[in-house]
Amino acid sequence: MSPVLPRIFLASLKRRRLASALSLLAIALGVALGLAVQLIHDAALGEFGRGIRQLAGGADLQVVGPRTGFDEQLYFQLAQRAEVAAASPVVEVDARMPGREGTLRILGIDVFRLAGIQPELMPSAEGNDTFATLRPDAVFLSAAARQELHESAGLMLQAGTTLQRLRVAGDIPGVAGQVLGVMDIAAAQERFGMLGRLTRIDLRLADGSNRAQATRALQPLLPAGVVLRPADAAAGEADLLSRAYRVNLTMLAAIALLTGGFLVFSSQFLSVVRRRREFAFLLALGMTRRSLMRGLLTEGAVLGLVGGAAGVGLAYGLAALAFRFVGADLGAGYFSGLRPALVFAPLASAAYLLLGVFAGVAGTWAPAAASLRIPVARGLHAGEGASEALVARARPGVAAGFLLAAFLLCQLPPWQGVPAGGYLAIACLLVTAVMLVPVASHGLTALLQPRRSPVLRLATARLAAAPGQAVVASAGVVASVALAVAMAIMVSSFRSSVDHWLDAVLPADLYVRASLGSGSGFLTPGDVARIAAVPGVASTDAVRADSVRLDAQRPAVTLIARAVHSGWGLPLVAGSLAYEGSGQPAWISEAVADLHQLSVGQPLELPLAGEPQRFMVAGIWRDYARQNGSVVIDRQCYIRLTGDERVNDLALRLAPAIEPGQVAAAIRERFDADTLEIAVPAKIRRITLAIFDRTFFITYLMEAVAVLIGLFGVATTFAALSTARRSEFGMLRHLGMTRADIARLLATEGAWTAGVGVVTGILAGLAVAWVLIEVVNRQSFHWSMDFHLPYLPVGAFGTGLVALAAAVAVLAGRRAMSHSAVRAVREDW
Amino acid sequence: MLEISRLSKRRPGDAERSLFRGLELRIAAGECVAVVGESGSGKSTLLNCLAGLEPVDDGELRLGGTTLTGLDDDAYARIRRERFGFVFQAFHILPHLTLAQNVALPLWLLQRPAAQAEREALAMLERVGLRDRAADWPAGLSGGEQQRVAIARALVHNPQLVLADEPTGNLDPARADDVLDLLLARIRDSGAAGILVTHSRRAAARCDRILRLSESGLLPADEG
Amino acid sequence: MRRLAVMLLGLLMLANVGAAEAAGPGGEGAPYPEVRPGRSFSFPADLGAHPTYRTEWWYATGWLEDETGQARGFQVTFFRVRSRIGEGSASRFAPSQLIIAHVALADAAQGRLLHAERSARAQPPLAGAEEGRTHAWIGDWRFSFEDGRYRAIARDPAFGIDLELHPEGAPLLNGEGGYSRKAPAPEHASYYYSRPQLRVAGEIIIAGERRTVKGHAWLDHEWSSQVMPAEAAGWDWVGLNLLDGGAVMAFQMRDRSGKPLWAAATVREVGGEAHRLPPQAVSFQPGRRWLSPRTGAEYPVEWSISLQLPGGRRRLDLRPLMDDQELDGRRSTGAVYWEGAVSVTQEDGTALGHGYLEMTGYANRPRL
Repeated sequence: MSPVLPRIFLASLKRRRLASALSLLAIALGVALGLAVQLIHDAALGEFGRGIRQLAGGADLQVVGPRTGFDEQLYFQLAQRAEVAAASPVVEVDARMPGREGTLRILGIDVFRLAGIQPELMPSAEGNDTFATLRPDAVFLSAAARQELHESAGLMLQAGTTLQRLRVAGDIPGVAGQVLGVMDIAAAQERFGMLGRLTRIDLRLADGSNRAQATRALQPLLPAGVVLRPADAAAGEADLLSRAYRVNLTMLAAIALLTGGFLVFSSQFLSVVRRRREFAFLLALGMTRRSLMRGLLTEGAVLGLVGGAAGVGLAYGLAALAFRFVGADLGAGYFSGLRPALVFAPLASAAYLLLGVFAGVAGTWAPAAASLRIPVARGLHAGEGASEALVARARPGVAAGFLLAAFLLCQLPPWQGVPAGGYLAIACLLVTAVMLVPVASHGLTALLQPRRSPVLRLATARLAAAPGQAVVASAGVVASVALAVAMAIMVSSFRSSVDHWLDAVLPADLYVRASLGSGSGFLTPGDVARIAAVPGVASTDAVRADSVRLDAQRPAVTLIARAVHSGWGLPLVAGSLAYEGSGQPAWISEAVADLHQLSVGQPLELPLAGEPQRFMVAGIWRDYARQNGSVVIDRQCYIRLTGDERVNDLALRLAPAIEPGQVAAAIRERFDADTLEIAVPAKIRRITLAIFDRTFFITYLMEAVAVLIGLFGVATTFAALSTARRSEFGMLRHLGMTRADIARLLATEGAWTAGVGVVTGILAGLAVAWVLIEVVNRQSFHWSMDFHLPYLPVGAFGTGLVALAAAVAVLAGRRAMSHSAVRAVREDW
Repeated sequence: MLEISRLSKRRPGDAERSLFRGLELRIAAGECVAVVGESGSGKSTLLNCLAGLEPVDDGELRLGGTTLTGLDDDAYARIRRERFGFVFQAFHILPHLTLAQNVALPLWLLQRPAAQAEREALAMLERVGLRDRAADWPAGLSGGEQQRVAIARALVHNPQLVLADEPTGNLDPARADDVLDLLLARIRDSGAAGILVTHSRRAAARCDRILRLSESGLLPADEG
Repeated sequence: MRRLAVMLLGLLMLANVGAAEAAGPGGEGAPYPEVRPGRSFSFPADLGAHPTYRTEWWYATGWLEDETGQARGFQVTFFRVRSRIGEGSASRFAPSQLIIAHVALADAAQGRLLHAERSARAQPPLAGAEEGRTHAWIGDWRFSFEDGRYRAIARDPAFGIDLELHPEGAPLLNGEGGYSRKAPAPEHASYYYSRPQLRVAGEIIIAGERRTVKGHAWLDHEWSSQVMPAEAAGWDWVGLNLLDGGAVMAFQMRDRSGKPLWAAATVREVGGEAHRLPPQAVSFQPGRRWLSPRTGAEYPVEWSISLQLPGGRRRLDLRPLMDDQELDGRRSTGAVYWEGAVSVTQEDGTALGHGYLEMTGYANRPRL
């Protein structure tokens, strides 16, 4: 076997260079996409987890509460408990930086408490000032923060609507990849309006005290809405939050790899068909069928190995590029404030390399198995060559079975936050679509019965009679088109739903914001009064945002206190704004309804200012902004219960015929420079949609690759076929067809092949889109959206793909039009 | 019907030596000429030159009064469609067309209406004795049957010149005689000129003339 | 004059410069009061903290003997530091007063010092230093005076102390009525009293094992705002409890060439009469040297101290409990110094007593 392997089998790969190269490229792309997604997210999650661990240090438990914190008295109580060996108080603020994008995470820490729990956070001062870390104007920046802010001396941060000038006094040597600053806790409390409050306490337990016991013992001390949890729980939350998105991208990569495997299949399949005589000859010479199969499988394995290796290399390049240009979250905003470094992941790399080999071997399996059935005597006979194609039988029964399975899988609940049923359903739909390709093929031929054009006649006659190879190529197109169309529909539905949603949530004429919900800026009632007094302002609606923990196991939910009536509406999907029952009304987002199994009319307990408060669910609204969920309550009710009169956002209605720009300028004059973001709804909409598009950018890219690989399928099929059909084309030339006629023939066949794939793919895509919207999205992100079919883009995409396939077929078949083709009529098959 | 004068073709890649030079040949309607020669003597090239699939270096070709030399590719392709018929050693029956469709192929290329094309193809199949299998796929055909289909295809559109390149090369002798007889009979019926390139003396002997191709041209082969 | 003195005081002087420049919001407090001669001490009030001064410490050292008769040295210190930061702050976390605690055991069987430390901002009830009575604490570590005796508790899982220290007689004021000069310039000075010959009883923990111990200790309580002059490189200090009931405190401040810049001593005779010696009456003679394998610093671990007393010259020879009593704080505080148990003999080798020796500025200038 040993000399046979390179000469007979591997040499064959070299002979059909184009097909081999495309198969290789397809596998490489599939492997590269999958591994790159994995690498990027592993790096981001790793850095995120490292950050969590660094911030938690040696803490066994963490006490966390709402974003606005809890009474610091808890710290003094906990620090004196026997179960607690060390307690480290933290005031965490997302400090707004006036005039800059985003916020800087500031941790107010007690340096003396860090040593026992979070040594990595220990600031290191420049110079010889012993008290450098205690000075109220000193802030210490991580390496990543320094890099990001390009700041070496001063830093201007915002608290409320006032500016706080801080001095960069040194580094945090233990923290590398996270963008954050630390400062003394007392200064943080004072500067950011957090006097008497802490946002977190990290606890190291005394020897002999375990987490469960300590949690039981300490739990009664905690006010409502404050929870004790393992210090690494936050890492899990990030993992959970981004998991759906990551699984999504991995699925896309898997489709690409699958298509790559399919490509190997089609190329190997055609190659086996072409080499039947060669194999028959080898069998006649005494080669066993088993070693013939082994040889073919080795071809596939070599393709997979080389493609996989190239893919692994490409993956690292892609990941590096992504880090550089898109960010660690691939633009989705899950890991802002992280600067992860690309690390070599031997295990994942090996796994993806093996996947590549697997794709190569699996793609070769069926053709190799077919080679076992080659009848030696007939195989040797001249004229028996490319003529025998795979008999692609339509199996409507099996297809219906898969369709039913898809439907049933859609009914399953998510598994660990991942819509596994939905993804399996999509796989079933794709299988169904591929199985229905022969049906579509026949249907399409029946539709096209050309009367005159010899090229069309020839093409349809050929495709009607021997759809085998064409079906193989079409099927490759089906999967990628279905996915692309489905994603397009999903994204378009999402985008148009977000667009409508923005109308509902932005009813005002002008918006004033001190900072994002989690940021350090806020407006006091005095600020609000000053703004309301600006000429031209007809009415205002103040919005306060905080977070509440509905239970210790789940991430905090955003609490929004605002006016609900008098036209400041909510995009409700259930219930009503006019609540008439008894008790205080709350409107929950779909995510809260899903995750906490709540529906209209049910009671809901919200911990406010350390006390549990009973609310009634008056309605469920659609919130695309907060994946963890949100609860809206009336602001007057919120003030009554908490005494917190601060405001994050202010929506302004202007008097008739007042220019928003003038009002904005007038408001700006009354406040420190850049402390307020003032925007008209149109600008907010534009920014929101830009963020939306950025989030889906990678998805678009991956779709493009999947479609590209599908086109490779058309190319390899036609490259292989055109070699096999050289004598046929030679004969047709003799019969008076011109070179252009042959090109037209190939183009027609290519277009037809792609057309069958595109039509089937679009139909399947509609079904997959439904699953994506109603099952995958609903279960991953817990929000609903309205189905929206982008006719024009999908139509243009399908048409373009068909045209491209025609071009690809001509390109791949150009050898068949060459002079030597004329001589091929005399070649003895 | 076919007039060849002063036809010259150099060996590819060797400008000094010619495959043939100053070749002269006239074939009357209904006449069939056998061309024999050594392997590599340029028999196939001669056929390609006649069919306009390879350029000639010098000389003139006239078919049915039309000068073919100097035509461009597309014009020549049209001439081939209308006036040429081909029979190949390897048959080249398209596996994805029925026998009738295979025979109708030249008519399709001439954009004849489908019904007419089918009618004429069936008539032609009748003449080669395969009428009853018109709707069959070629897969089950024997070599002889395939070549009969090919002959039907070569003559279905009443060509002025039929070029046959070793039409019996892939057939056993008994079958070969049948097929050759059929081919020659059909060519004579149709009033076309025929050129048969062959190695087989037995085949050549059935033609009206036998010519040997050499560098100096086509000379009558000495029988014997 | 003790060891955090080493790291803090040296630093504070530098910090002073920086602090003046970096006056940010939160405000600087009132300036540190100057240490002047002529202050009258009042006990028990002066046993407590004096929070307006920059630095203050309660520094106890001594020799302990367990049931088997094995001798060990111990040291426990609580420092109070006023940072002048955040004195006007409304935050309970304002770092205006800092508390630092050190505990060390010198055990010849270990071959080196066992050492632990804690620091915190003064923030009752978690840490603080009371005025009016001796009570400094960080968590469950404390040093306090109640019911006529001091209590020192500093326990880690691996080692620790829990000792009662019984004073005999009134506090012994050093220098001119408790005004202790450290350098030729009068502003380099501290308020300083000692409590020698404290009778100790209690227990210590070594390697998790408890041992009942008794012995004798020395307590310094000292507060100041500015001690070390710029030209000083370090100092040598001893506090010795003599077997006859007498007590000796002596120190010298060295310049960069090793020559004394200043020196002083307090010698309490058996009868209770105390002599305060001026610089010229105190002489430190270095003896055998020990090279630290850790830091490469060379310490004179044996000394001959010569004191010119009214009754004549007296010579005290010091021998360490073990050579390696160096504290290497390069990775935490930055200070490297030697602080250890020593025994005292006459010229003829007759045992005179036990005490503690502190040597700074041999590896680097105190935390520069």
